[in-house]
Amino acid sequence: MKSAALPLTLALLPLLGSHGCHHSPPSPPSSVPTRTLPTAAPASGISTATTTARPTGAAPATAPATTPQPALSDTDAIVIHDGKENRIDAEAARRSGYTIIDFSDDWTPFIFAPHKGPDGTVMNNRYRRVFLGLANDTLDEDGEPLPSGEKNYLELYGIPPSMNVLRARFLADEQQTCHATISLEVLEEVETIAYIAPQKLKAAERKTAHLRRELEQARAKLKVASYADLAEKAPSLAAKVKAYERRVAEKAAMTEAEKRLACEGMFQKKPRHAPGVYDDAMRLAVKRFQQKNMIYESHYLRAKTMDALARPPLANDHLAFMRVLRERVVDAAGVVEDGSVAGKAGAPSYTAKSGKARQVRNLVDELTAAAAEQLGLATQEGSLAFFKRHKAADFKKMRVAVRLPTLPEYYGPDMDLSIVIDRGDVWYDLPWDDQGVRHPQPRRRYPSFHLYLKYDNQRIPLVRWRTTIGGWRAEQASDGYEYFRYKGSDVGSRVIRNIVAGPVWIAPESTPIRSLLKMKDVRGRWQRVVNYDELGPGYLSAYGLVAGYFVSPGRGGRPDWDNGIRAHGSSNYLSIYSSEGYSHGCHRLPNHLAIRLYSFILRHRPMTVLGDQGMGFARQFLAKNDVYEIRLPSRGYSYLLEPPLPVEVLVGDIRGTLKTPVTTYVPKPGIDYPGPPPPVRASDEDKESKGAAPRSEAEE
Amino acid sequence: MRKRKKQAAWSAGRQLAVAAACAVGLASLAGWAASRGKLSAAKADDTKSVPQDAGAPTTKPDTVRILIHTVPPRKARVKWGPKTLGTIPAPRPLVVERPRDSGPLDLVIRAAGYLPVHTRAYTFTDSRVAVKLTPPSEKNKLFGYREEPPTPDGGVPGP
Repeated sequence: MKSAALPLTLALLPLLGSHGCHHSPPSPPSSVPTRTLPTAAPASGISTATTTARPTGAAPATAPATTPQPALSDTDAIVIHDGKENRIDAEAARRSGYTIIDFSDDWTPFIFAPHKGPDGTVMNNRYRRVFLGLANDTLDEDGEPLPSGEKNYLELYGIPPSMNVLRARFLADEQQTCHATISLEVLEEVETIAYIAPQKLKAAERKTAHLRRELEQARAKLKVASYADLAEKAPSLAAKVKAYERRVAEKAAMTEAEKRLACEGMFQKKPRHAPGVYDDAMRLAVKRFQQKNMIYESHYLRAKTMDALARPPLANDHLAFMRVLRERVVDAAGVVEDGSVAGKAGAPSYTAKSGKARQVRNLVDELTAAAAEQLGLATQEGSLAFFKRHKAADFKKMRVAVRLPTLPEYYGPDMDLSIVIDRGDVWYDLPWDDQGVRHPQPRRRYPSFHLYLKYDNQRIPLVRWRTTIGGWRAEQASDGYEYFRYKGSDVGSRVIRNIVAGPVWIAPESTPIRSLLKMKDVRGRWQRVVNYDELGPGYLSAYGLVAGYFVSPGRGGRPDWDNGIRAHGSSNYLSIYSSEGYSHGCHRLPNHLAIRLYSFILRHRPMTVLGDQGMGFARQFLAKNDVYEIRLPSRGYSYLLEPPLPVEVLVGDIRGTLKTPVTTYVPKPGIDYPGPPPPVRASDEDKESKGAAPRSEAEE
Repeated sequence: MRKRKKQAAWSAGRQLAVAAACAVGLASLAGWAASRGKLSAAKADDTKSVPQDAGAPTTKPDTVRILIHTVPPRKARVKWGPKTLGTIPAPRPLVVERPRDSGPLDLVIRAAGYLPVHTRAYTFTDSRVAVKLTPPSEKNKLFGYREEPPTPDGGVPGP
């Protein structure tokens, strides 16, 4: 039996008290004019109606307005005062200490927002349009119109849904009736549902039936009423009783999970799902559900997925809203500290100017909770009421004003930041033998990414996240065959001079052809195309949604040395969080964390906006008897850090027999090659000085 | 009478269209000729026209023009999924007009005596797509070509 998962709000709200943030909504300053909106009687289905911030579980919402409201203007922001929603002049509010949070549907994180270049020209990021289309469920990853009714569910990959997408979810889930047929209790009965491959399902059923017969016979023989009694009376059968009961509970939970996924529209027309079978259709439905609910798990019915399935849809919607609010608050406030540096002994501390010790706060959760509280969104009911009283059109320009807790004294426009990457346990040995049998290479310490601040002669850790280092990867050699090659992560001092939002990965010639192709429905016909998902710009790109380019600074007027290593976002979260995950040398972060990181750095370091880096790259390759051409019109939208950001990559602990990496190709077991491995390509091996990043055709 | 009027109108329209097409063709040809010398086997610098501030919010036409041609210039059919966009009237390029920012076009270009080429055109801005054609006899010059491993009998024909 598992405990019910606590909503995010319950976890966040206690933080409000610990850092002196406001428990009651602040009054707008007298100098800021407000306009109270007319309200009407509450709609049925919502108990009491007020937007006054209240403790979790008791916060009802303001009555929805029924009289037509004038549209929000560019200068308006919404503020909650005395339980009423008012309009306020955003700029005046900002001057009075309010933080203005963008609630509009055309919000993007800082890195994708339009910025002015050195000459004052406004420069848009060409990926911004696609980002917005994906967030609003209007475009697909190529920027083509999304078929009507389709959903993107890309929060897991760094693109949170827009406010109108959330609004539609809340309103639809409040009305939907199919959820009433689902037993959440049955789902809560199990922690996970063990995966049984479709071809092994019948055998598993036979085994369960056999177990049941055996237990029934024993129960009759010992004359006990239940299996619990049987396990007590015959301890040798206890394990079998447990296994049988678990299987029965999981089977029942599987049925409810299927109903729940169907109710939420997670199954697609193809492939068709066979009830009770964990087939491809089920796996894809689970994957979509995980994407919708931002669950980092492999595509099976594991603990977090089961928790989400066992929650009512509106509760999941509220959690999604809190996550969306979190990203917008983080963006508005320009913070990054998320509590990830806290250890068993609590959060690290630093000495303030006053001489007092201060703990590194979890500003992400603290500020989000404060905003949710002030806006009356800390509860599911409050959030539902918010979306019910605002029309879809309101989110065209909506901004809200909140008073957030004061930031630590070390905040400023030019913070002395630096990055340290600890490679953790490193294995250079081949992970398999001549027969292709894999040998485990366990790691006790995984690679970690640290952002530090130097402040008043102290080094303050701000975040600590899991990341990746390189390992053994498949690579295409000049003979057209794939070999294994160790793709390590450089060690030592580097800098990040360029940050690229919506970066493009120029696949080196060593990239296996199979990963450069994919099937795509082009105007109703499935055809093989170049896999631009992998190249970018896009959330699936090898560089994710944003990348910082590591270079060794050139000395004596020489250009920077770029070895193709980046710290970048990634949709491949399993490579980051799984025990066997490796990259090709880069340091991967989940896209949403990479966005937070680089947005934070750009806002607290001197930088120049370089804008879209147009280029005319084209390269052809052969696959079977067709030629495929990669065409890339831009490298992405670049920012130049001046001075650059220091990076230090630590060696880590070298495990295993080999103490230095293998530098040659290693044949893959079971492949017939035309001869011995060719030498590693000069273009990949020679560390050509490529000038300031992002000019190199680097590899991930 | 009505029919004749309609024919006359169609005729005038056709003349205008032909004149416009000629103008477009000449302009395209000039652009293509200017760019021709810059093409290399591995790289075709087709997006030189992309400005640095490609996304700058200025007033732009609602459509973009994409000029498609081959190197060497050959008549070639251009398909976009099941739809045939047209035939490249070599040595002139095929001119395709698309709504601006309407997403990329995944094209397949087929010319007699050459391997089919799968390429992509973008709709961010006016652009030129120069596609290098490779005859089957030269496919070993393309990246990704792989020699078959020797057979166990070393290639000796069987009895």
